[in-house]
Amino acid sequence: MNSQTTKTLSLIVGAILIATLPFWAGDQYQLHLAALIAVYWILIAGLNLVVGFTGQLSIGHVGLLSIGSYTFAILAGKMGVDPTLSVFVSGLLGGLCGLALGLPSLRLPGFYFAMATMAFSMIVNEIVLAQVDLTGGGIGLPGPMFPKPFDSPIGFYYLVTAIALFVTWLTWNIARRMWGRAFISIRDNPVAAQAVGVPVFKAKLLAFVFSGITAGVSGAVFASLQSYITPDTFVFELSMFFFVCIIIGGRGSIIGPFLGTVVLTALPELVSPLAKLGNFFYGLLLLVVVLVVPEGIGRMFEIISERLRPRTVHREPITPDLNRLAKALKVRE
Amino acid sequence: MSAMQSELQAINVSKQFGGLSALDQVSLSLRPGEVHGLIGPNGSGKTTLLNLLSGYYQPTSGAIKLGDEDLSLASVQRRAAVGVARTFQKPRLLPMLSVLENATLGAWSHSESGFVASAVSLPSVAREDKKFLEQTTELLHGIGLGHVIHRRANLLDHAEQRFLEIARGLAMRPSFILLDEPAGGLTTQEIEHLSQVIHTLRSSGIGVLLVEHHTDFVFRISDRVTTLNVGNMIKHGASDEVRTDPEVIRVYLGA
Amino acid sequence: MLTVIVTGLAIGMLYASIALVYNVMFSTSKVLSVTTGHLSMVGGVFGAYIISVLQMHWLWGLLGAVLAGATFGWLTDVLAIRRVLARSDEHLWLLSTLALATMVQQGVGLWWGTEPKPFPRLITQEFGAGLMDQKFWLPIGMAIVMTIGLEFFYRKTMYGKVFIAMSEDAFAARARGVSTDKIRLLSYVLSGALGGLAGFAAGQLTFAFFALGHTLTLLGFIALAVGGLGSNIGALIGGAALGLLNSFASYYFGGEYQQTIAVGLLMVVLLIKPEGLLGAKNVRPV
Repeated sequence: MNSQTTKTLSLIVGAILIATLPFWAGDQYQLHLAALIAVYWILIAGLNLVVGFTGQLSIGHVGLLSIGSYTFAILAGKMGVDPTLSVFVSGLLGGLCGLALGLPSLRLPGFYFAMATMAFSMIVNEIVLAQVDLTGGGIGLPGPMFPKPFDSPIGFYYLVTAIALFVTWLTWNIARRMWGRAFISIRDNPVAAQAVGVPVFKAKLLAFVFSGITAGVSGAVFASLQSYITPDTFVFELSMFFFVCIIIGGRGSIIGPFLGTVVLTALPELVSPLAKLGNFFYGLLLLVVVLVVPEGIGRMFEIISERLRPRTVHREPITPDLNRLAKALKVRE
Repeated sequence: MSAMQSELQAINVSKQFGGLSALDQVSLSLRPGEVHGLIGPNGSGKTTLLNLLSGYYQPTSGAIKLGDEDLSLASVQRRAAVGVARTFQKPRLLPMLSVLENATLGAWSHSESGFVASAVSLPSVAREDKKFLEQTTELLHGIGLGHVIHRRANLLDHAEQRFLEIARGLAMRPSFILLDEPAGGLTTQEIEHLSQVIHTLRSSGIGVLLVEHHTDFVFRISDRVTTLNVGNMIKHGASDEVRTDPEVIRVYLGA
Repeated sequence: MLTVIVTGLAIGMLYASIALVYNVMFSTSKVLSVTTGHLSMVGGVFGAYIISVLQMHWLWGLLGAVLAGATFGWLTDVLAIRRVLARSDEHLWLLSTLALATMVQQGVGLWWGTEPKPFPRLITQEFGAGLMDQKFWLPIGMAIVMTIGLEFFYRKTMYGKVFIAMSEDAFAARARGVSTDKIRLLSYVLSGALGGLAGFAAGQLTFAFFALGHTLTLLGFIALAVGGLGSNIGALIGGAALGLLNSFASYYFGGEYQQTIAVGLLMVVLLIKPEGLLGAKNVRPV
């Protein structure tokens, strides 16, 4: 069985598992966990384009999640706006703030930019706390439910899973074609990216806006899932968690960060000693991955399978086929 | 299209960094369908001139032109769009992508797929990508990398990396390609292959600027040669003329 | 008004001290470590532990803070920097130091508790001492002492000069026989000690609180960036600016927006002049 067949089969099996989850999951708690994974993945899938593909060190996305959540809670909860419309607005606002978050990337190099994103999430939290009339300050706000049939746990699960699948499909389309290559070129060799004509700054901004939209949408459904949000929900450690899911899963891939999200969300819930360690565990895991397999655990499987298959690296000489080259050059559009 | 017949020119360019003058009133023209060598000792300003032509530096005075268009202040990306490709002294590749993906990146400026169109995978996007991949595959086979098309770029040896970078430049469908010491680290056999490839580029009407240290190689395959020394041009003209010029011999070729 | 200024300067000098720590680490490794703020946090927590819990004399607390910081600095180099510098991906060290910083912060939180605990008085003094209260002049004094100390270190001692040589051209330094790994380790231990010291001195202002780590890393960084990477005088200026903006914003707009205003303003400065007030411009990458 070749690797293409394996991949397709795993995807089909995975799809079936996801579609039927409410029926084989143990209890309400596990269903809730699955929904949480979907909600996180909506944000992380978008963030993946920024961090995993374009290589921007954004550790402030919890601020965008917060903006999405509060927008939804205020519109759909306090102001009685239709929840679906509220989700759209959350996404839009998230996109706008994502743009603002990405702007400094033009002027500020790596670490500086990371700190700027950290400052962003800190400022968002402070504003949320201060605007008591709007956001309930330290007390927080209830997260409204969606109308039938999405008001039940099973219905909600299918709602967020559908959104998550849609976002995954979008990012997969971007990743495997020209834009994906362009983003990776910005990450791995910006000079080369310029040389082939990639509009580096515009591309970064596009990635940030996209990730802002998904973060806003994620925030909206997050508020609904949690049923109550306070500023304490949106701590820096959550930003780190998103970031770690991507790095551990492996940059430049979609499935890697997805598996990372699943594992890192589920693990502390299912293995209780880990739950006590909480963020210490994420830090430890990140350190181990960075030191041992910096390409991420996704790559680790590739490396292992490469080792298992016999290594036959044929070193053939470079022999140009000049006729073929001439013909290829003649094609001018 | 007149752009095809236009020359890429540096006209009396000077470049200063702070108090240091790297280039002083140097002119060079690159014609379509010619191989133009650029030689000179270390520090003579070859790389500076290359960077000026490709847009990484702006001239302190003088101009860079492509036909009638003044490119002096144009961005690197603009130069790519008008058909100026280049390679680098140390190949700049994307280590985690395959040879095919690396080379196909070169087709970027010909892509008409917007971000949103790509996200929703419009049929035109799929068609365009397929076309680029096929065209790049042909280029890679032509240049001699057909046997490593799906290999990850960080597993390539030095020569393969150099040829890959050239292939990426060709995927840009350039009118001009500026090669920065492409023979560095190549065996004699590989340099021979490189010459053949450059000849083919020339016959296709591409203007090739060849910055090199391997002077035999340069004089053998160039139509015209420009020699620099400490930021000044000391001789330019037909390859044979320059090779036998006494000052060039004194400064660069040794006794 | 004077209180506002003195409070601002005091907290600002803590930020400035952290900026100094960044500078020392950066000089030998060209790395900006996320653990910088946590060094101070550790100094404050350990100091409080030794004095309040173990009921020992404050000098022991000082020593404990310095040792804790130095150890943590050592750990930063050994765990997070050494192996990562060998690879060429420059952003790996951001991740490794972020990972280590998180581990330490959470570890301290698990051990010390998540509530901020008061930091003990070091010298007997009435609480009504107003502007002359030690919680103000301790951090201010410490920052000045550290700056002068570092100047002396760089100009007059052999090791200091080696640090400067490494920061200007590590390659050349290695070629001249300098063991860059050992010197880097030394610089991390030194900066760890300095960080611990700064946290200890400012403890009465910040309280012993595990969550200070990331916040101080950020604020210390802003002080560093505004003043200019590599400049110790710049660190002092940047720290003072941030601290003063902070306390003035508190005074005029109430405590609610103090971080937003201060950080926001300084971010704007950075966007206009990324190299900071006294920093050097970057060289072109091609």
